[in-house]
Amino acid sequence: MEEVFIPALGMAMEEAYLEKWIKQEGEAVNAGDVIALIETDKAQVEVVCESSGTVGKHRFQVGASVPVGETITVILAPGESE
Amino acid sequence: MGSREEMLAMLRMMMMIRNFEETADKLTLRGKVSGGMHNSSGQEAVAVGVISALAPDDVIATTHRSHHHTLAKGFTAREVMAELMTKATGVAKGRGASMHLGDVSRGHFGGNGIVGAGMGIGMGAALGIKMAGDKKVAIGFVGDGGMNTGRTWEAINMAAIWKLPLIVVVDNNQYAVETFIDRVTAGGDLAKRASGFGLPASTIDGQNVLEVRDAVAQAREYALAGNGPTFLNALTYRYYGHNVGEKGQYRTLEEIEDWRSNRDPIDQFAARLFSEGHLDQATFDEMVASVDAEIKDAVEFAENSPHPDPSEVMLNVDSGKLRG
Repeated sequence: MEEVFIPALGMAMEEAYLEKWIKQEGEAVNAGDVIALIETDKAQVEVVCESSGTVGKHRFQVGASVPVGETITVILAPGESE
Repeated sequence: MGSREEMLAMLRMMMMIRNFEETADKLTLRGKVSGGMHNSSGQEAVAVGVISALAPDDVIATTHRSHHHTLAKGFTAREVMAELMTKATGVAKGRGASMHLGDVSRGHFGGNGIVGAGMGIGMGAALGIKMAGDKKVAIGFVGDGGMNTGRTWEAINMAAIWKLPLIVVVDNNQYAVETFIDRVTAGGDLAKRASGFGLPASTIDGQNVLEVRDAVAQAREYALAGNGPTFLNALTYRYYGHNVGEKGQYRTLEEIEDWRSNRDPIDQFAARLFSEGHLDQATFDEMVASVDAEIKDAVEFAENSPHPDPSEVMLNVDSGKLRG
């Protein structure tokens, strides 16, 4: 199971605004797919997954401010569950 | 080549550095490393090749990308990881973070955030060595970006004219942040540029740890005999962005994959040790497991260490003599 999280992208970055979910719960994804769009205080950033599988539960809704390092969803391998 | 033990120690050190960097990269993205970091994955053979040719007393001065040099110099994964998290148990007692690893008493004159400055600091160390009459050398690490700043050539000129025991090592990963070296570097080969100062200068394969070690060993002998500095341009490649979290769109994934698959310094050296009978699968697997355990332990140690005590905030800021 891969945790997809808000990456620390700047030295003073503490949280990000969750702008859009690109992949929905239960959707199949490939490594490298964009899962969500977030906004930091400097830029819009694509959050990408590293593994292939199925998108788990969205742990935050669009519009939420999410702290750096926080997991926003997981990528489940076949047979895995949250 | 050297003894089997030396070879295996060099391989293990490169593997440890790789594991350290990839682990630290993930921790940085998770927000656990203060102030970001520069990942040296891919450049292990330069650090390990250079430092395996040195005596423990020899001095290094390095750059913003310095974890590999620092670990190869003998600093433990625990104390470097703790410094990345600015913990009191770190190399610089939590004051320096990733870019300011160093301890003068252990022959490490530090990393720093100024392009090309490490080499000047190395030159100063070499001048000190000469004035004290010590039998040792200083390494000035510099990047390819630093090769286009004026201060590096001032330092090389001074080292050459005063015959200082300095070895300039260009940890040349070919990209100054996002800029490919050929787009900004006139005259082609950097060794050609350096040879204009009348010192031995060559370009070496920075992915071949033994080639790096042999070149530095020769430069060291040359310096200890009083002949002055040598310039080594070690060609290498970094697998990750300039800094963690960088959105790299200035080079192709194919280029990175080519270096990873065909020119990886660890893979190449391990393959050579296997083919020459110095390494067997069981020993290799054991090394992988022990490196993994060492880095896991380092992360645990760093995470469980305290931050510096706020009451010590003025420590090392000044001499303390003017304060009551």
